[in-house]
Amino acid sequence: MSTEPRDEAVQDQAPQDQAVQDHAPQGEPAVEPEVADAEVPAQRAEEPAAPAARPVLLEVEDLKVHFPIRRGVVVERTVGHVRAVDGVSLSVPQGGTFGLVGESGCGKTTFGRAVLRLEEPTAGRVTLGGDDVTALGGERLRKFRSRMQMVFQDPLGSLNPRHNVDMLLSEPLKVHGVGSKAERRKLAVETLDAVGLPKSVLERFPHEFSGGQRQRLGIARALMLRPDLIVCDEPVSALDVSIQAQVMNLLDELQDEFGLTYLVIAHDLAVVRHLSDRVGVMYLGKLVEEADSESIYEHPRHPYTKALLSAVPQPDPEKEATRERIILKGDLPSPANPPSGCRFRTRCPWAEDICAEVEPEWREAASGHKVACHFDL
Amino acid sequence: MALLEVEELRVAFGAATAVDGVSFSVEEGKIVGLVGESGCGKSVTSLAVMGLLPKGRGGRRSKAPQPVQAAAAEPAPGAVKATAAAPQAVPAGGGRRRGGGAYVSGRAVFDGTDLLTLAPAAMRRRRGRDLAMVFQDPLSSLNPVVPIGRQITEVLERHRGLKGAKANQEAANLLDRVGIPDPTRRLKEYPHQLSGGMRQRVLIAIAVACAPRLLIADEPTTALDVTIQAQILELLKDLVDHEGTALLMITHDLGVVAGMCDEVNVLYSGRVVESAPVRELFARPTHPYTIGLLGSIPKLDLPIHEPLTPIRGSIADVIRWKDGCAFAPRCDRVAEACVSGEPALVGSPHAHRCVLAEEVA
Repeated sequence: MSTEPRDEAVQDQAPQDQAVQDHAPQGEPAVEPEVADAEVPAQRAEEPAAPAARPVLLEVEDLKVHFPIRRGVVVERTVGHVRAVDGVSLSVPQGGTFGLVGESGCGKTTFGRAVLRLEEPTAGRVTLGGDDVTALGGERLRKFRSRMQMVFQDPLGSLNPRHNVDMLLSEPLKVHGVGSKAERRKLAVETLDAVGLPKSVLERFPHEFSGGQRQRLGIARALMLRPDLIVCDEPVSALDVSIQAQVMNLLDELQDEFGLTYLVIAHDLAVVRHLSDRVGVMYLGKLVEEADSESIYEHPRHPYTKALLSAVPQPDPEKEATRERIILKGDLPSPANPPSGCRFRTRCPWAEDICAEVEPEWREAASGHKVACHFDL
Repeated sequence: MALLEVEELRVAFGAATAVDGVSFSVEEGKIVGLVGESGCGKSVTSLAVMGLLPKGRGGRRSKAPQPVQAAAAEPAPGAVKATAAAPQAVPAGGGRRRGGGAYVSGRAVFDGTDLLTLAPAAMRRRRGRDLAMVFQDPLSSLNPVVPIGRQITEVLERHRGLKGAKANQEAANLLDRVGIPDPTRRLKEYPHQLSGGMRQRVLIAIAVACAPRLLIADEPTTALDVTIQAQILELLKDLVDHEGTALLMITHDLGVVAGMCDEVNVLYSGRVVESAPVRELFARPTHPYTIGLLGSIPKLDLPIHEPLTPIRGSIADVIRWKDGCAFAPRCDRVAEACVSGEPALVGSPHAHRCVLAEEVA
């Protein structure tokens, strides 16, 4: 279960389960207020907190990742840069979930990898619990990685086919020198239990599992070091619909149980809305809008967000018949040579002259609702 | 009569039955959906109709109904109409050794002709002209070393006898019609030079080059981004509205179904478990699998953070249809009646295959 801003609701405090959070960088921070809300079904007894009340765990400031474009056979020259991520700032509170949406090529995956230093940032700063991740190097970075883990999109491709589950799950512990063999195995069994797999799978290999089970293994592996932050890159997009729901519910439960902070990267707006407290919409390497998940879906302010939302087919024929569609023209421009001014202007139905000349500033259009657009739409 | 009438279609690969008696029909100017998750047999159904499955021995139905499944693993005689598929004589060995071959039986009547009985040459004459297909992955369905113009004119030459400049002109017109800007220049480009959405448009241009009466689209937008998906769906809808093409839409996305289809068939483990007009299906889903699918989807208009209600287990938890309902191991409502004998598809136009569900009107 993740957190949710419900300012108007009554909140009272309940301590969060911190038992397993042995790396907690900021002491014992998060408290989980409960929300009494008529809309919330009964089985959700514990409603989460307003993220603002919690200390920030992940802070990203003006992160840029540029990939050089090289030409030449003998002598390579750099002829330009692909600006995959071009100045993105965001912060995620302890125990919160930030959802990053965008279409393929918008830089969302590169962003997630750069946060974990799997990709070298060109500029900018990433801090996790106050520690500057971008300043770390060598052995210190390697040690630090135990606090931040990743769940990948393709569960089969990200599990070593020749390792059985025991080896897969123990490996991160071995790398970080945690525990004896027996202790590692015990932890593996506990973690398997947390992700809903029986102890008996320890001797089995990845190909023996279904897609949903493999994704559970991927999640279990990320959990083994009891990290603070998990970056989930398209955690459910490779799965069947009925299995997607299982994995999404699991991610929610684990967040409560282990006090996890998530950065969820996905192209599916409904998935992101379901998992996240705050949502950022990315287009061509930049955030174009950021708000809490309720207001971004109810009052999208950027034309791109509006178009994205209007393009999602709803499983309801009545609504489909009346759904107002904003069909965008053309494709994503090249991130090596983004359009002048507003990057979205080439596809924007509302574009005017100013959009080509001036890059819109990143402004707060309403409380907690940021947008990069010249107009109030 | 419907343009395409599929009756009791069965496809088996060795011992594995992929499609286990599927019947549905597609009328002209209508969009019919085949919905289901991976492994439910929806793609195999479409490939069988198009005659694109690798043939196994005795696969094609000849005059005398032949044994269908070589290994006779899941004979499962038709639940609805016990057709001629009844004699399940075990064939004289060896079926399994031919690995990869498909054993197809049943009928797929297109405009009065059973496509499954056509000789390969006769099928080739029809494929691309009368019925055409759009595949999921446009990059691997286009030839990477041939300019797209040539890939379009190939169809025009073969089926419409157009050559040279005339064919090129027509190819450019087709690209223009599917919304590709600057078509004459694009004709000389290779698939890798186009974006994913453009490639899918090229595939659609090839598919509609001969104005087919039936278009089969197998997950046509799954590989695409939502804004591009919206463009492609709009294009397909236009074709149906303006040309009267019949469209068989194969997808896992119930959102796409809700927005596009007139009729829906929900497949599970090789059989239709529910079939209804689209509004009816979404308003009154009856089979627990359909209900489960609808409950699993995060929706943009639900209260945020409401937990989803997934279907438990996975498609591997399955029993054979002849022993009961294949969905029973994952079903919350399961009862004794579910695992004692084959459930039949009952009701019309809203049909379901669930012994517990009340009769639907």
